Amino acid sequence: MNAFLQALFLQAGYNAALVAIGAGLLGFAAGSSGTFMFLRKRALFSDAVAHATLPGVGIAFILMVSLGGDGRSLPGLLAGSALSAWIGLLLIEWISRRTRLAEDAAIGAVLGVFFGIGIVLLTVVQSMSAGRQAGLEGFLLGSTAGMLFQDAVVIAIGGSLAVLVTWLMRRPMTLVAFDSDYAAAMGYNVRRIDLLMMSLVMAVTVIGLKLVGLILIVAMLIIPAVTARFWTERSSRVIWIAGAVGAAAGYLGAALSASAPALPTGPIIVLVAAGIFVVSLLFAPVRGVLAAVIRHRRFQARVHRRQGLLALAAQHPIREAYTLRLLAREGLARPDGVPTETGRAQAAKIARDERRWDVAREIHQDAGLTGRYDGLTPIEEVFTADEIAEFDRRLGPPVALGGA
Amino acid sequence: MIQSHLTRGWPPAIAATQGRTERPAELPGDAPLAVRGLTVSYGEKPAVFSLDATFPAASMSAIIGPNGAGKSTLLKAAIGVIPRLSGEVYVFAQPLEKARARIAYVPQRASVDWDFPTTVMDVVQMGLYRKVGLLGRLSGAMNARAQDCLDRVGMADFAHRQIGQLSGGQQQRVFLARALAQDAHLFLLDEPFAGVDAATERAIIDVLKILKAEGKAVVAVHHDLSTVRDYFDHVFLINVRRIAEGPVATTFTTENLQATYGGRLAATHLDELSMASGAR
Amino acid sequence: MNLTKRTFVAAAAAIAMALPGGWAAAEERLDVVATTGMIADAAQNVGGDLVEVRALMGAGVDPHAYRQTRTDVVALANADLVLWNGLYLEAQMEEFLLELGQDNAVVPVAEGVPENLLIGSEDYEGRFDPHLWMNPNLWSRAVIVIRDALIEAHPDGEETFNSNAQVYLEKLADLSRYTADSLSSVPAESRILLTSHDAFNYFGNAYGFEVVGIQGISTESEAGLQRIAQLVDMLIERDVRAVFVETSVSDRNIRALVEGAQAEGHDVVIGGELYSDAMGEPGTYEGTYVGMIDSNATTIARALGGDAPNAGMQGLLN
Repeated sequence: MNAFLQALFLQAGYNAALVAIGAGLLGFAAGSSGTFMFLRKRALFSDAVAHATLPGVGIAFILMVSLGGDGRSLPGLLAGSALSAWIGLLLIEWISRRTRLAEDAAIGAVLGVFFGIGIVLLTVVQSMSAGRQAGLEGFLLGSTAGMLFQDAVVIAIGGSLAVLVTWLMRRPMTLVAFDSDYAAAMGYNVRRIDLLMMSLVMAVTVIGLKLVGLILIVAMLIIPAVTARFWTERSSRVIWIAGAVGAAAGYLGAALSASAPALPTGPIIVLVAAGIFVVSLLFAPVRGVLAAVIRHRRFQARVHRRQGLLALAAQHPIREAYTLRLLAREGLARPDGVPTETGRAQAAKIARDERRWDVAREIHQDAGLTGRYDGLTPIEEVFTADEIAEFDRRLGPPVALGGA
Repeated sequence: MIQSHLTRGWPPAIAATQGRTERPAELPGDAPLAVRGLTVSYGEKPAVFSLDATFPAASMSAIIGPNGAGKSTLLKAAIGVIPRLSGEVYVFAQPLEKARARIAYVPQRASVDWDFPTTVMDVVQMGLYRKVGLLGRLSGAMNARAQDCLDRVGMADFAHRQIGQLSGGQQQRVFLARALAQDAHLFLLDEPFAGVDAATERAIIDVLKILKAEGKAVVAVHHDLSTVRDYFDHVFLINVRRIAEGPVATTFTTENLQATYGGRLAATHLDELSMASGAR
Repeated sequence: MNLTKRTFVAAAAAIAMALPGGWAAAEERLDVVATTGMIADAAQNVGGDLVEVRALMGAGVDPHAYRQTRTDVVALANADLVLWNGLYLEAQMEEFLLELGQDNAVVPVAEGVPENLLIGSEDYEGRFDPHLWMNPNLWSRAVIVIRDALIEAHPDGEETFNSNAQVYLEKLADLSRYTADSLSSVPAESRILLTSHDAFNYFGNAYGFEVVGIQGISTESEAGLQRIAQLVDMLIERDVRAVFVETSVSDRNIRALVEGAQAEGHDVVIGGELYSDAMGEPGTYEGTYVGMIDSNATTIARALGGDAPNAGMQGLLN
């Protein structure tokens, strides 16, 4: 615990601090740039883009070696991966636009083919006798703990650019994600905006590739956005919350990895992100599973109370045990089903409301108001006091059911 | 002529008698929306073929035709949402790209995901995005304008609701409010009354009639033949090709409907409609 | 399960036979396939003209991660003798090689060395550290295993193999002496060898070095951040002046380590590149087993304050 706190406050040494900050920045960039891909319902696209980087790594290595250079030169490898990811995304875009294949099929095809080519190339590379290919497989799984200062700088600059572009273009991208037809009608170039979203994801993928590897970067692009959706109903906030979730996962994951032995940093970061996701899934207000269960239980109780009171009003026996328990607990009826004073009063009120609704339906032909009857909505929410008084005038004096 | 359609069956070969061979047709003039020779094709099957259409100002026009006749396609292609294979589009006598700002489009309600994380107010403000630009802030005046548009469709109280909580009719009203916010001169609506409650239909029509009174052009894809006479004053009958266009009184006739819908429209239904026309 | 694997091997062999091929067409030379370059080098030296040796893994290849290609399968199935290291070095190929060994001459050379000379693996219970070649004396025993395997595969060559092996083993003895001499010149307190992964335990045992690897015995695990922090602390505490990268393992973690130590004000350099799991490029001196160990010993001795000739044992290093 102490070690974790130390790491949390960047007191666990240079490397731990560097990785925590770098991973936090990368998490923020990935989370916010991945948001629109998720909102556009193309989360899998990030997956395809990440996998499409692999052939570029292999080809760049082979090219650089055959030109007599150092095959492990990072800028060269990253340029190669960016190029092949770009080709991959253009291909997906082209396939889904020009053929009858659906987008998910195009994504699956490109993902599989590119990854396959990538693995083949890496195998070719391993049988090359020159060039020192050691560490190329690091592009698959990454090596977060070995982050260097220059990596952190690349993340900071590239990541801020990605976040900046996301923020600048949030309006057109929101529009395209929500209603691309409308965006097109307004004169936005939907295809170009789509390409921009994809390019953002690609940029973050390339930046993060060497750090967390292509498999984990996908998680960092998708999980934060999905998590953020649980906490807000505004797309502009999804961007920032997703960024925050990604940053928290990166930072906490690095701190955790620095505080206990044998915790590989990259996977721990993704596990922390997944943990935040699960907590959000379960406990988020409104959209969380728990909130939904509670909401359902409350609704069920309302329905049963209402039905129970109507039964009391009509002096029908209540058979359902749950209804009886509910009424008894709220002091509306005794456990044997005989109404209490309060129960009698409320039952009378509800019975009268039902009759008011009947009158309302006669007077108001407009379905806009009477259509709101669903057995539960109080009549006072739909009609004004004056209107209700009018219904009552037509109904005549209240019929006593034990006083009202 | 009708006889011949009925006996010859489907599809009706009527183009020649409707003046289709006289292309190139009359110049579009300064009509709010005019298309000339418009063909749109999905794959190798044209959805609309060589259409000429002119929609007048200060009026409400209905695009009418059976399912799959290309009504929505016409609308979408006219404003560049889907690419045209051939043909030209003029908006107020200008090429489409120059007149974008004067067009407001209301897509089909079902075309978007209503679980999208956005509020009613956010959606209406989308209509202002072009004015605001990338960097601009939505000013107080613009917010007031958006609120006013919501008010006009009777949704003022819902500004901060998440759009997923709205009923179908309310969703449609929000879409209309968004179009109103654009301050356009030509309103294009794709099935605005599909699946909405009677109160919403009423509210929408009221708003559209006000637009018409302000001199704006409204063009809607419309399904419900029984309300055409009440709502619209111009019709465009389409079944892949143009069947007829013109004022409701002279164009929305039994013959033209028969030609548009072929054998699919029950004779009794046509009689009802023509009786309605007789009553007017 | 077993059946299908055997079928696969048989099929691969059948395909190999069916291939129109130069080498299969009965030259008298013994066709030997070795997994690593070190084994191939020994086999070539012992076998001389009587054998045709091919190594699957080239320079800079990481044997822990190596996956056989179809060509490899054909070559392996077709060979008169397959020599591999064993002790779980060729992790990805092990199953295939064991299966192949049911019908063919397939010899894990490191497993022929007496167990009491092996070092147990820290990471895997009951397993041994496979990086035997790091100690020339131990490797000599593997060379003897290789010699015996060659004799068994080609009894007619026994005499040649024996005399070649004698020469080679003497070379290794020289190498061992040079290595011991140059490394003993390193001050006792500086005898810490920090590298990317745990490949140098036999080396450390033989020459009295404390060996520390960032990653475990295999390169296939990712390093944790705490491990890096611990090692930075150790560098500072023990005043370690140089750390080493390996040709067949990514140098990222080592570089991060150096950066971490420097940030805390401790100067440490990358002392050079060591050949751990693969030899240098073919055709160069470092591309032979002797050159590889010579280079390692020289690099380490010089970087850690010891005394060794710039160009190594035979003046062949560059």
